[in-house]
Amino acid sequence: MAFNYDQYLRVDKMPTLWCWGCGDGVILKSFIRAIDKLGINKDDMCLVSGIGCSGRFSSYVDMNTVHTTHGRTIAFATGIKLANPDKHVVCVAGDGDALAIGGNHTIHGCRRNIDITLILINNFIYGLTNSQTSPTTPRGFWTVSQKAGNIDPTFDGCKLAEAAGASFVARETVNSPKKMEKIMVEALKHKGFSFVEINSNCHINLGRKNKMQSAMANLDWIDSITVSKKKWDEMPEEEKRNHLPLGILKQDTEALEYCAMYEEVKKAQQGQRGVITQDDFEKKI
Amino acid sequence: MSATREVIANGNELAARAAVDAGCKFFAGYPLTPSSEIMHVVSDLLPKIGGAAIQMEDEIGGVAAAIGASMSGVRSFTATSGPGISLKAENLGLAQMVENPLVVINVMRGGPSTGLPTRVSQGDVAQAKNPSHGDYKSITVCAGNLEECYTETVRAFNLADRFMQPVFVLLDETIGHMHSKAVLPSLEEVQAGIKLRKTFDGAPEDYKPYGVGEDEPAVLNPMFQGYRYHMTGLHHGPTGFPTEEIETCRKLIDRLFKKVEAHQDEIESNEEYMVDDADILIIGYGSASLAIREAVNTLRAEGVKVGMFRPITLWPSPEARMHALGQKFEKVLSVELNQGQYLEEIQRSMGRLDIEKLTKTNGRPFSPADIIEKVKEVF
Amino acid sequence: MAAMAAPENTPVWVNTSRCKACDICVDACPAGVLSMQQEATSILGAMISVVTPEACIGCQECELSCPDFAIYVAGRKEFKFAKLTDASKARQEAIAKNGYRLPTDYKEAN
Repeated sequence: MAFNYDQYLRVDKMPTLWCWGCGDGVILKSFIRAIDKLGINKDDMCLVSGIGCSGRFSSYVDMNTVHTTHGRTIAFATGIKLANPDKHVVCVAGDGDALAIGGNHTIHGCRRNIDITLILINNFIYGLTNSQTSPTTPRGFWTVSQKAGNIDPTFDGCKLAEAAGASFVARETVNSPKKMEKIMVEALKHKGFSFVEINSNCHINLGRKNKMQSAMANLDWIDSITVSKKKWDEMPEEEKRNHLPLGILKQDTEALEYCAMYEEVKKAQQGQRGVITQDDFEKKI
Repeated sequence: MSATREVIANGNELAARAAVDAGCKFFAGYPLTPSSEIMHVVSDLLPKIGGAAIQMEDEIGGVAAAIGASMSGVRSFTATSGPGISLKAENLGLAQMVENPLVVINVMRGGPSTGLPTRVSQGDVAQAKNPSHGDYKSITVCAGNLEECYTETVRAFNLADRFMQPVFVLLDETIGHMHSKAVLPSLEEVQAGIKLRKTFDGAPEDYKPYGVGEDEPAVLNPMFQGYRYHMTGLHHGPTGFPTEEIETCRKLIDRLFKKVEAHQDEIESNEEYMVDDADILIIGYGSASLAIREAVNTLRAEGVKVGMFRPITLWPSPEARMHALGQKFEKVLSVELNQGQYLEEIQRSMGRLDIEKLTKTNGRPFSPADIIEKVKEVF
Repeated sequence: MAAMAAPENTPVWVNTSRCKACDICVDACPAGVLSMQQEATSILGAMISVVTPEACIGCQECELSCPDFAIYVAGRKEFKFAKLTDASKARQEAIAKNGYRLPTDYKEAN
């Protein structure tokens, strides 16, 4: 028996519009296997995407799907989730989408620790619009907007998410679809903001001018810059700087989730409890 | 008919109460003077009835979360002032394209830019017509007194669900902060008038949310009920899936216009005050109409036959009625707290340029004396 | 699990209407089962082909790494898969070196 993805796809929309060898499809497959493993009903899930190649993710899954504006994915999802706290809400965004134009919403989604799963597809470039620098483009790479070589420092989305308060933070690559699936299962099960960065290839618009013209070459490069968290922890500092750790990087099951906290607001406003005071929280400042 | 309610409140509070009474369950916004009281009130009222109000990280997030809740099928709104609308504009365009109902209250203050945050203006009337890029037909109502802060907000929610698009409620700083007695319709009457969006209840495989008649709004079922479909800001076909097919693209934008234009009678609302026997017609709306009404009363006492035409629905404009009035009245004066944003619409509707104008953009409201003086000067 | 039955006596099969000829599955196969073949009507002028099905070890690497829902592998109960042999490894190497196409004059190692 092979896995039947079609049960979760809008099959009449296949093939996808992504380029040949694009990691987005591998991520979509891992996501579908994770949903299937958890037995989540398609009707009980809403998938929200932004703009960019990743934005088309939402159009292919047979769920309640919304393709929103550039960078605002998490803000739309926050409204959907808070109005429907018992439903699953998943965001899919790219590195430009979630870390550049939508950076503020990413930060505050993490801070609220609202129960949304964000799948951040990081291909290190603006792929859809033909190779402009993204916040994760490595320095010294060619981009169409910095042909002399990118001088902008790079962002570590996972560190940002962790610092901002996301209670689940993980990173995986399209080289390991099975591990990716497992991480997505954990992320979807987690109550709170789950930040999942998937490093993906764009051999067309990142690789083409950076000596990675095939999907395989681009995937090999991703392999060379990533390492398991365990190995990363043992690395000397100067090596850490040039590698990204993979796996679950943070998993705090005690952190208070926003929709659950809002239930307390309702109780307080309905006179079922007193107002919420500092004593209700562990952290006082 | 059940008894009316007498309350003492300001316009912002009344708009907030109207939202809750109209069945709204969700608010998302960002603090912005002079609209913030709306958020203050709903952040108490909504959780009381099991709804939710959230202060987002910015104006863009505020409108996005409100649209998100509405996409899921929950009546929802946001409130802000001009600078906030500027920031929300792109997502308001998404709501137009997706055909997502939403009420957007704009309590107007002096602009452009940061302008006069605590002072009145009617400078966002043109903005309300086309806040976002692209082609669509705005619906905008404008409250002219405290009662209308309530009744027009209720009407806006019903219009949003009827036409499946954002509806602007324009208040201004004067009306938003005017604190006085207001007589409101009974709660039973308001609730009996609630008309929620149309839904499709056939087989899910037959559901085509955007496959509707050429002058009809999309039929968007609430989420999580077995009707899984796609919403996108891209041009889309009957199922909501993106397309660039020539005929489909043409039909979509045509329909965004026709669904409003073909049903203007359901949207248009005007007041005519002492117009029948008048020699001079004054046109004004919002808080300016309070001063105009007083000026009409005073001038009438002096024997000058003046009347007022007050559009309550600003967009789509009452162009046919204004055209007829333009034929009847030789002497017409437009009064507004901007440099003549609606004057252009009056000129267009009447097909003439000889309209006198009284404008003010210094952050102060009109007094009746301003208007009386102007009438005596020009006519 | 959402499952799809394998066609009879078939270890690995392809939905050619979805394949974009990206070469990833050919690269991922350890056993030289897959090869690209010239196909003038396909997007990149090539199409995936299962050239030595009998060598398939059922590892599913091709299926997992395919971005386009185009290639499927039978379950262990549906097909008796081969063991990975040196001959298979050599064929795989020859395919990878030849631009993911099985050389036309390829001679199987014994």
